[in-house]
Amino acid sequence: MLKTLVAIPERCTGCHRCEMWCSIRHKGVINIERAAVHVIRQLPSIDDPRVCLQCGICIDSCPKDLITRNKKTGAVEIDKGKCTHCGYCILSCPYGMITFDPVDGHAVKCDLCGGQPECVKHCREEAILYMDADKAARHRRDANSKRDRQESKKPNIRQSKAG
Amino acid sequence: MDYFGYMGKVCHVDLTTGTVSIEPPVERDLQRFLGCSGYAAKMLWDGVRAKVDPLSDKNKIVFATGPLTGSLCPSGGSYELCFKSPLTGVWCQARSGGAFGPRLKKAGFDHLVVEGKSDRPVYLWIRNGNVEIREASHLWGKGVEQTTDVILQEIGDPDASVAAIGVAGENQVHFAAVINDRGRAAGRGGGGAILGSKNLKAVAANGTLDLKVAEPEAFIKSIQKAEEALDKYPFENINQFGTSLLVNILNANGCLPTRYFQYSTFDKAEEISGELLAEKYLIKRRACYGCSMGCGRYSSVDEGKWQTPPQDGPEYETINMLGALCLNSDLASIIKANYLCNDLGMDTISAGSVIAFAMECFEKGILTKKDLDGEELRWGDSEAVVALLEKIAQRRGIGKILADGVRSAAAHFGADTIALHSKGMELPAHEPRGESKTLGLQYAVSHRGACHMHPNWASTWDAGNFESGLREFGMPWPPADKFAETGHQKGVAYRLVVLQGEIVEILGCCVFHSWGAADQCLTPQLYGEMLRTLTGREITNQELMLAAERSWNLKRCFNVREGLRRKDDALPELMFKPLPDGPNKGLHMKDLQGMLDEYYEALGWDKEGIPTRETLKKLDLEDIAKSLGQ
Repeated sequence: MLKTLVAIPERCTGCHRCEMWCSIRHKGVINIERAAVHVIRQLPSIDDPRVCLQCGICIDSCPKDLITRNKKTGAVEIDKGKCTHCGYCILSCPYGMITFDPVDGHAVKCDLCGGQPECVKHCREEAILYMDADKAARHRRDANSKRDRQESKKPNIRQSKAG
Repeated sequence: MDYFGYMGKVCHVDLTTGTVSIEPPVERDLQRFLGCSGYAAKMLWDGVRAKVDPLSDKNKIVFATGPLTGSLCPSGGSYELCFKSPLTGVWCQARSGGAFGPRLKKAGFDHLVVEGKSDRPVYLWIRNGNVEIREASHLWGKGVEQTTDVILQEIGDPDASVAAIGVAGENQVHFAAVINDRGRAAGRGGGGAILGSKNLKAVAANGTLDLKVAEPEAFIKSIQKAEEALDKYPFENINQFGTSLLVNILNANGCLPTRYFQYSTFDKAEEISGELLAEKYLIKRRACYGCSMGCGRYSSVDEGKWQTPPQDGPEYETINMLGALCLNSDLASIIKANYLCNDLGMDTISAGSVIAFAMECFEKGILTKKDLDGEELRWGDSEAVVALLEKIAQRRGIGKILADGVRSAAAHFGADTIALHSKGMELPAHEPRGESKTLGLQYAVSHRGACHMHPNWASTWDAGNFESGLREFGMPWPPADKFAETGHQKGVAYRLVVLQGEIVEILGCCVFHSWGAADQCLTPQLYGEMLRTLTGREITNQELMLAAERSWNLKRCFNVREGLRRKDDALPELMFKPLPDGPNKGLHMKDLQGMLDEYYEALGWDKEGIPTRETLKKLDLEDIAKSLGQ
């Protein structure tokens, strides 16, 4: 079965090792600004690893058709050698998971390391997992449901004004 | 030239003239001292003359990183603040984790050297090789937390790292800390006071620059080896309970400093333990940049009179110094006190120590209510502990005297025999009489004064039984009895413990990953492999040890130049009196002089503790010997 990445923020200690491993594997240097996985620190107390869902929304955005789905791994990959740095894929991603590389200018996007993601291999906290697609789907449903329920508890000021 | 591992740039900021100059490192010194506090020691040796007043514009302070800082090395989240200390008057280095060191490198610099004095409050914003000196008058008087918030907003980069001083640093409290990333402290020795004396409120750093790797595939292999070793790390609970796990362990082993070192066990240890902290107040564990261990605590108190917002810590030292040392068993009050120390920018170790000292003075009638604004100061009074922290930071009332540290306060009160320090540095929360005699030796000889961690956990060999890869370099094995003093090769063994720690310090790492069997921790051999593959520099493990020894000797020479001699390698009288309680009842330091002889001999120092000319020559430090007049 195809696999994909799932992040569990409750486990993350904010060490940034996933980003460092990502950059050395893909760029041969250590530079978290060039990684395709991002650990966001939310004050006061959350470290939140964000991973690409491989949803494929970006595929249609590329004017040169350089973004394709790898049939073997399920990863949505950019043909970096031909990338013209136009930025359309960055605009298209609703999750903000495609970025410009600050050094070489290419679009940076997770490619699942060909099916052996480094971020997963080296996370001692198991805060990023590589899961079978159906389990990952279950996890995403639960996480989204939890988030939506939490959001519904917040007072909606505009609504109460209208009422 | 191309630099790998290093950023290859040193930034000098002169606040008197407002000038910034950027230079490549001196290659010969980089080869000799490798980086971080070693390279900084050479810069301060060259740049700060003997007898300079630490709080004058003639003093300099270095924010130092090493080649492994911000790399994938699992202990590489550190920077060292290096300076001549206002608390001790001699060499000081204070390590801090968090993300500041790695972010300083991403901003383009291995070292940041600050000298002179600004005529108004300023902060530095360093990004991708650019250094801006910015107005900070609106931040003066503000705590670290708020200062950090405002700066991050002004520079518009929420991921940047801010190292700031609080009110204590502004008021030049002699043990004021520099706090980075809101809650990580370059704590000891008063680096914060130096920033305060220079009108430098903070340094913010971030960037997008690469840390280049000379041999990526080989480096990756060495990191994998390091990760595998740490999977077997013997302190398996340290990520669960952080350093605070030591409260119960040291109490059970009769070496938990209690009631200003009068006792070595605390009947209420359980109430301030790491286990209780994890159960009641811990929000999460938080790791320094690149650390796979993640011993950092992150906690809050949500209700009651000690309500405290989420904050890094408290760590073991804080818990014990503001807890058992003052007979304070209210853990929530300690969390509050820790928060205050971070926000005011003060070293929790020295702060706890001067408060416990004042409590003892009150008990003995040396201090009275008259000296204390009409208030009492009794053992275990958590409210008094918290109130005193504010007074010290603001130099109000008795705080004005305590703010200069225990040595100075004791001279003021005529209480020299009670004060517990070495070279003016307050004893931290480890009890040499009950933990190990090597720790007693380290308290006496450590360059920055009484310290359990500079440059290594002293007891790793004789109390810990950890080999840590050192047998290859001649470590006597098996270890001697931890309570033995002379005649057991402790000088030889301790030299190797020192060099192991110094390697970590000059490479820009944290020493917490260093203890275990040879395959269970980050050994000198592993550090050598990571260093070679990262930097591409040919350096054997023996040469790495030699660089560490060179650095350790240079720092000693720094102190010798300031006039320190054998008599200054001393311990407080109390350490020679028997422990009255616990499993180590009756034990005490006996022959420190004999231990000094063995240590000096192992390092090739003369009877006064001065590195001999031959020793310095052997270490390729003839220039240092020459300027020492040898």
